Amino acid sequence: MNINTVSIFLQTIVGGIGIGSLYALVALGYSMQYRSMGLVNFAQGSIYMIGTYFGIIWYQGMVMGLQVPYPIAFLIGIVLNMGLGLILERIFRPLANLDLMLMLLGTIGLGYVLDNMAIITWGAEGFAVKSPLPNTPIIIGGVALLPQMLLLIGVSAILMVGLTVFLSKAKIGKAMRAAASDRETASAMGIPVNTTNAVSFAIGCGLAAAAGILAAPIVYVNPAMGGPVGLKGFAAFILGGAGSIPGAIVGGLVFGVLEAVSAGFVSSAYTKGIAFVVMVVVLMFRPGGIVGEVTVDKV
Amino acid sequence: MISVNNIHTYYGHIHAVKGISFEVRQGEITALIGANGAGKSTTIKTICGLLHPREGSILLDGAPIHKLSADKVVRLGVGLVPEGRRVFPVLTVDENLDMGAYHRSDQAEIAKDKAQMYETFPALKGREKQLAGSLSGGEQQMLAIARALMSKPKLLAMDEPSLGLAPLLVKRVFEIIADLNQQGMTILLSEQNARGALKIAHQGIVLETGLVRFADDAASLRSNAVIQRAYLGAG
Ligand SMILES: Nc1ncnc2c1ncn2[C@@H]1O[C@H](COP(=O)(O)OP(=O)(O)O)[C@@H](O)[C@H]1O
Ligand SMILES: [Mg+2]
Repeated sequence: MNINTVSIFLQTIVGGIGIGSLYALVALGYSMQYRSMGLVNFAQGSIYMIGTYFGIIWYQGMVMGLQVPYPIAFLIGIVLNMGLGLILERIFRPLANLDLMLMLLGTIGLGYVLDNMAIITWGAEGFAVKSPLPNTPIIIGGVALLPQMLLLIGVSAILMVGLTVFLSKAKIGKAMRAAASDRETASAMGIPVNTTNAVSFAIGCGLAAAAGILAAPIVYVNPAMGGPVGLKGFAAFILGGAGSIPGAIVGGLVFGVLEAVSAGFVSSAYTKGIAFVVMVVVLMFRPGGIVGEVTVDKV
Repeated sequence: MISVNNIHTYYGHIHAVKGISFEVRQGEITALIGANGAGKSTTIKTICGLLHPREGSILLDGAPIHKLSADKVVRLGVGLVPEGRRVFPVLTVDENLDMGAYHRSDQAEIAKDKAQMYETFPALKGREKQLAGSLSGGEQQMLAIARALMSKPKLLAMDEPSLGLAPLLVKRVFEIIADLNQQGMTILLSEQNARGALKIAHQGIVLETGLVRFADDAASLRSNAVIQRAYLGAG
């Protein structure tokens, strides 16, 4: 292997980690919602898309011509999407812990509603977003990296560490873990489970918004952007171990790297397929996923 | 302290508790005796707000609590030691105690009470950082009791705390319950182990198929021939 192949390989891996961070954040959304409510939220892709708009419209000057700096737009998008999450949690509450068919219908249906609302509000055709960072790649050890990709990886990492610390140290974070493992006992201990569920749901939506706003300058922003990301985030969620927090992170990164490697070294025509095939094979040997903790109360 | 008045509790169409009434008096141990399926857990869960009666009322110091959710009932002073212990397995021993104190915000007092729990339950000492799921059954029972006490309850509701424990531990659990009562705690104790429960209780309520079959002071129940035959294993 010559030096050039090595650097292309490294570049592919870093690209995979970048796109994998995106999947991981979306998978964490699925996980937070599944842990708390036993709900598999198939509207997660649409929530990711809405969250992207909620942030990017400020940055793009689409709100009363205001030109909001990227970091502020990022925060506004997260907060707005968390607010949306609080509303959606109320709508989804009756679906919690019901059978998969009802969740499927209910959440997919809501996903369509969100997609159509985006089309009505912002139009069906999308737009490209200019990165707030320079577009010239940074060369590190022969590997060319886009600054926006590094931002995506860095901020995602901070959010993942932040979430982990929050769940392990904050009082409400501990309560969320307790409620995820045994909802009835948690409420008998004085934990307001409906509130912790709503917070979990909102966090899931906030992470999706963060993912979308970070990815916006790399991808093309449009009302259909949620579909593939929602699907791959779901795959990452299952791959890592449904409901597991480290599992969602590992699952997302593994899925992203697999996808990048298969696109770069096999053929981009097979990209979509290969990562899913690997996922199925992994699940055949580890049905609980790669990490697969037993932390979730399956009522 | 607690007055349960003609409560009817259902699981869907299943009528599990069919009009139960009794009083838990301040400072006493009230034993809720009955075979498996008699309705003990349903009664306790109804008192704690985990289930809601379709009819009847539950008054805590005169105020109705039967429409409140469980997290509100805890705030009013009812602590629960659930059947099967139900410690949070993925949380550490210390975090489990924190969850017991969830509704409290007096940090200094909480820390003091936690330290007290490790004194009262030496089995937990030195294992603060251990996951509760890795404890033995007896240790988990101690943790479940300590966790409930962390809420500073006026009434401690215990659902079959001796279930599934080795005989020596069963004895230890009953000693602990008697000690807690000695220190002033009012206790509602659900038990299939009628012998052990009636030994430490002041009064006993005997449930059969969702109804109260007997209600009397513990000494009278112990000497009741029917009870002896059915529940105390006497010839
Ligand atoms: N979750 C449930 N769903 C349906 N029926 C239940 C449920 N829990 C208990 N029951 C029924 O209610 C009755 C009382 O049960 P329970 O209160 O658990 O009795 P005990 O605690 O005395 O063993 C039993 O007939 C039991 O089968
Ligand atoms: Mg029971």
